[in-house]
Amino acid sequence: MYAFAEVLLVAGSALAMIGGIGAYRFPDLFSRMHAAAKAPTLALILVAIGAAIEIGTLLAATTLVLVVVLQLLSSPVGAHALSRASRRQMSIPLDDIDQLSRDEDRDENTAR
Amino acid sequence: MNAVAMIMLSIGAAGFMFRLLRGPSLPDRVVGLDGLLSIVVIGIIVAAARSNSGAITIETVLVAVFVGFVGTTALSRFIERRGN
Repeated sequence: MYAFAEVLLVAGSALAMIGGIGAYRFPDLFSRMHAAAKAPTLALILVAIGAAIEIGTLLAATTLVLVVVLQLLSSPVGAHALSRASRRQMSIPLDDIDQLSRDEDRDENTAR
Repeated sequence: MNAVAMIMLSIGAAGFMFRLLRGPSLPDRVVGLDGLLSIVVIGIIVAAARSNSGAITIETVLVAVFVGFVGTTALSRFIERRGN
């Protein structure tokens, strides 16, 4: 059982490392946000399960459940707010696919 | 095995730290800061799993997660109002 906890701790740390490497290497902002928002969340879940097995008290387990729930609630909200804010400030899209302004133009045309 | 996990976390923290220091725009720096705080949270949990003396309390992680969320949201409101 403790070997399983060790595997979970090391796997979570490896996933956090992959997130950091993605934030270092990816070419534009939204790719970096993709790497930095999702990989540490799953890493936190794995590490929390491993630590709850390894510590073994009920208090630590409930605290870790609370941490995981808080991260699962807050991480998508933060990533969404950041991507929305940076997309609003961006004049030229990063690739040539600009579906947001296409949809906004279509909404304005159908509204009038 | 503790050293393996901590070395992996250090490599990830180096990637996020590069993005925090050298990000071309302000949202890139916010991405780096958020990821760095996630690494800190994971590192505290890993360190608390190994210290069976209870020297590291796990309740500090709750505060770190909440500070990360408030920081990211406040900075993104700031970016939306002010720009890069």
